[in-house]
Order: sequence, then C-alpha cells, then structure tokens
Amino acid sequence: MNTRLSGPERRQSILKASQQLFADKGFHGVSIDEIARAVNVSPAILYRHFDSKQALYDTVLQELSSQRESYVDMVVNSDANFEEVLTGMTEVFIRSIDENPNLLRIEMQSLLNGDPASSEFFENRWKSFADYINFSLNERLGYDVADREIKILSASLMFQGMVREALLQKYLQPKDRLVDVSLNELSHELVTLFLKAVGIHDSQISQKAP
Amino acid sequence: MSDFDSELDASGLNCPLPILRAKKAIAGLEAGQTLRIIATDPGSVKDFEAFCKQTGNELLSSGEEGGKFVFMIKKS
Repeated sequence: MNTRLSGPERRQSILKASQQLFADKGFHGVSIDEIARAVNVSPAILYRHFDSKQALYDTVLQELSSQRESYVDMVVNSDANFEEVLTGMTEVFIRSIDENPNLLRIEMQSLLNGDPASSEFFENRWKSFADYINFSLNERLGYDVADREIKILSASLMFQGMVREALLQKYLQPKDRLVDVSLNELSHELVTLFLKAVGIHDSQISQKAP
Repeated sequence: MSDFDSELDASGLNCPLPILRAKKAIAGLEAGQTLRIIATDPGSVKDFEAFCKQTGNELLSSGEEGGKFVFMIKKS
C-alpha cells in the first residue's frame, strides 16, 4: 500500500482518480471501493479526506465548473478585431478541452443530472462567448433592425452550439470522426462560417471590435 | 475634479470583454493618464494584473468596493 504521500498530496491523487472515473462512468457508475483501488488506498483512508461519494463528486464538479480560461495573452497580442478575438477565444477554449476532456464530459453529466454546477459551467466558461458576441453584435447591428434582441441571442447560441458540437464529435464520440482536422483549422472555419451567417463580410472583418 | 482621467464600467461582463474595452480605452489616453475600471467578473483581478504586466501599464490599485472590483491603471 502506498503510504508515502502527504495529506494534501493524497487528497489530490484521490481527486484526480475520481475525476477520471466519474467522467468515464458517471456518479452512479463508480463506487468508493473502485476509487480507493485506483489510488491504492483503503476506503477508510479515502473517507478521512471525503465524507461520502457525494462529497467527493461535488468537489470534482466544483473544481471543473469553476475553471476559467484566461484570454489576456490573446487580447494583448491581437489587433482586437471581432474575427481575431473570436478565433483566439475559440482556440483557447478548445485547447482547455483538449488538455482535459473531462471538463466536457462532466459538464454534460451535470446538465443531464440537472445539477446546479451546470450553471457554473456556463457562468465561468460559455458566458465569455455569449457576452462577447452579444456586446459586439449590439454595437454593429443597426437599431432599426427588426427583432434585434432575438437575432443577437440566436447568433450567440449558434456560435456556442457550433463549438460545442465540434467538441462533442472530437472528444465524446468513441471514434474521433474529425481525426483528419486540426483543432485550429476547425476553429478558423467555424468562425468564418459564423461571420458569414451573421452578415459580417470580409470587408467588415477588420473593423475594430470593442 | 475626479482623480482619474477616464472611467470604464464593465459590470456584468466576462473576460475578455473588460480587458478588450480597457485596451481600447487606454489607447485613447496620453501617457501618465489614468483609467478607472469597474468589473464584476472575479476573474478580472488576475486578468488585470496579467494585462498590466504584459502591456507595461501600471496597475495603481486593485480592490473591492460594494461587491464590485475596481482597478486603477496608469498609462505608461
């Protein structure tokens, strides 16, 4: 039995193993015994760190749903036009899922379970896209456009939907159907399609964003 | 007279909007002038620290006022 880890190290190793197991099998598909085996400790030791499987799951959920991406590098190094920022944001977001696909799996599970953490996933992660698209289109779209609000809302949903579907195809399908497409290529194409769909033409793309 | 030259309210907006709007506002300032920013995104604290470090502008202060985050940046 591995007894060399310090308390905080042990806690981290339990969280890491349980995140993977919960992401693969869901809350109900994993037992405390299985998690204990995965980290090579007895269930008694595991219970010293977490009161219950629910407490452990809640901690995993909290850690993932509060993860935010930093877009500072991208903003500092870009001209800050709409296309460039949206492409840059999408790249940063896709990279975070590429580094840890459990983010996506656990988010999907929290949605299915009706867990309040699903709102946190939105607030801390997707809201950046919603806000940016909302704000930018609000500035661009004439005030005389009919159904202005619903148009802007739909555009924002459309973009989040495209990105989410690409990520689902790439990371949640047992067989990666997009194996021949790089993530960056994909993100550029999605942004280009989106700009066309919302009526922003090539000549307008270089206009300054907020 | 206020103790800043320009003000930006980014309440309710998530990153990268507060940073983007600050970048644009700073571009319109003269060296030595200050920008006060109000934000509600908790991530903005770390973001403005990183932003100032990378752009060389000075983060004069960063704090909380009435549940909002307030930053003062001096253009270098």
